[in-house]
Amino acid sequence: MTSQLAPGAVRPTAVDPFPSTVADMATVAPALLGGRALVAAPVSAATWRALAQTMVGWPWLLTVGLLVLVWVPTSVSLIPALLVGIPLLVWSQLAVRWFARIEIARLAAQTGAVIPLPHARPAAGPGWWSRFLAPLRDGRTWAANGYAALSTLTTSLAFALVVAAGAVALAGVLAPVYGVGPAVEDRFGVSRLVLGLVLLPAGLVAAWVAAVAAQAAALLQVRMGRTMLGCSRAAYRLATADAARERAEERVVQVESTRSQVVGAADNERRRIERDLHDGAQQRLVALGVELGAARRRPSSDPEAAAVLERAHREVQETLAELRDLVRGIHPAVLTDRGLDAALSALASRSPVPVTVRTPDDDRLERCGAAAQAAAYFVVAEALTNVAKHASATSADVTVTCADGRLTLVVHDDGRGGAVAAPGSGLDGLRSRVAALDGAFDLASPAGAGTTLTVELPCAS
Amino acid sequence: MRIVIAEDSVLLLDGLTRLLMAEGHDVTGHRTADELVASLGPDAELPDVVVTDVRMPPSHTDEGLRAAIHLRSLHHRLPVLVLSQYVEQRYARELFAGDVRALGYVLKDRVTDVDELLDAIARVAGGGTVIDPEVVAQIMARASRTGLEDLTPREREVMALVAEGRSNSAIADRLVVGLPAVEKHVTSILTKLGLPPDSDDHRRVLAVLRWLEHRPNGES
Repeated sequence: MTSQLAPGAVRPTAVDPFPSTVADMATVAPALLGGRALVAAPVSAATWRALAQTMVGWPWLLTVGLLVLVWVPTSVSLIPALLVGIPLLVWSQLAVRWFARIEIARLAAQTGAVIPLPHARPAAGPGWWSRFLAPLRDGRTWAANGYAALSTLTTSLAFALVVAAGAVALAGVLAPVYGVGPAVEDRFGVSRLVLGLVLLPAGLVAAWVAAVAAQAAALLQVRMGRTMLGCSRAAYRLATADAARERAEERVVQVESTRSQVVGAADNERRRIERDLHDGAQQRLVALGVELGAARRRPSSDPEAAAVLERAHREVQETLAELRDLVRGIHPAVLTDRGLDAALSALASRSPVPVTVRTPDDDRLERCGAAAQAAAYFVVAEALTNVAKHASATSADVTVTCADGRLTLVVHDDGRGGAVAAPGSGLDGLRSRVAALDGAFDLASPAGAGTTLTVELPCAS
Repeated sequence: MRIVIAEDSVLLLDGLTRLLMAEGHDVTGHRTADELVASLGPDAELPDVVVTDVRMPPSHTDEGLRAAIHLRSLHHRLPVLVLSQYVEQRYARELFAGDVRALGYVLKDRVTDVDELLDAIARVAGGGTVIDPEVVAQIMARASRTGLEDLTPREREVMALVAEGRSNSAIADRLVVGLPAVEKHVTSILTKLGLPPDSDDHRRVLAVLRWLEHRPNGES
């Protein structure tokens, strides 16, 4: 039987939805666990709750139970008679569903035991008739019929026992005060006081019996409720798994969208920093370099001053070179202004190993989105740095292709291979960057046979 | 010499102006490409050389380059030296699409090397062609499937200098070799590239750039 999730399905809570009998005892009938709770049973709060449960439960469940016991068989017996029994039966089951909900709420209120609602209903077939008959195919509803019927018996017994023991207890405890009647006193020839003292322990024992009986009755109803009213374990597991999957899916969607926002924000920030550095520090240093260069050209009679000037000039030029490399590492201006094709050419031209660059011949690269282009640029930059540093290659080539909304990058060299994207390495950082864009990263580097880095990036539409 | 400079950074414009004035030049400065173009209308008295930055307001992309191309089309062989924050093949291709005489394209950071800057200005003013070594390196990177890959390392070095617009004797000085050796390399290079040997420096540069311009796009 397939199940579907009813609206407002329960979500798993920290509380065990299917506690053991012992766990229920601790909540509903602590006296049954023995120890101090057993000794103190007649005066414990649990007893008073259980007593109230018995007092309310008996008339309520007796009424409902009898109704079910009459309504259901009557409906069934009326089915042959022009089928009027069928709607009667369906309506009875709808009523029983309501009863189950109310009873679960009552048990929770009166005993503190939380029973998960039956939330998985069998899927109805197509057609109004099938939908109409659906309640008849629901095992949980039929079980609730059983609960109502059985409860007429259990609550009646419990009510009788508790009331009887309670009456004896009350009589015994109050005997010293009110006596047991002149006839009895006269026959045994004892005073009212002595008789009272004899009956008091009996009354206490009866009170204890009443208390334990009330608690046991409450426990019985709760356990019956768990079995026959509440959600079945299998359905609960299914529903919680569904809910968990749904939440996980929501989470994935959310994480994906925030991740792409973060990547985009980081790219924008890099571009901003690049522009700030270019408009600020870089320009000032270039101006300073020109200034110092001009000063050096002036004839100077002081050789020491000339040497200082020369050092300062060289220092500025080196700082400028470092700053340029830094800015390039943050976000190259050529990428922002002229796109990936130009930026890759610039990279290739700086490589000490001869590099061939192949790119698509139309504007497909430009349509690939800033984030993918930036990632592609940095992948090639890092790959070419590695080629120059470690590969001992004589040549390398970079091939970029764009197809089906994906930008594919292949960087190949004819070096000695053996490259690994060790954790914390530049390649590892690139792998993360590619992964953040939902790209694929593959490094093939057999020893002695060159290195091929393949990266696929989805293009933003 | 009369020099016109267009540069949006006040600091650098001042520095360059002072430097060139100290060298005895007459310098006019402009802060934007529009100012530069406006000052050099069809009837304007032309300077000996124009030096312009590429990245200038308002869009901070290639205003300076557009201005340079415009001025070159307006005034035949107006000497122009373009300073770029980065070197870019397409900039070079666009700039050198027409006549390459009296034209220069160098990395902006090189202006701190004052001697080199003054040399570049003088060469452009004198009708020469100046191309930044990084542009040449890029051309080499994109060109390796059309014969350049067959070049020996030494020939690549020579080719780079050729593409920068240097004469054979200048290359010989730079590489500290004899002139005949350079001539031999150049002949070998031009043969490998399928270009007929020619003694004219400009024609050699032109050949490289023409090839760049006309090569089918995806084939690099």
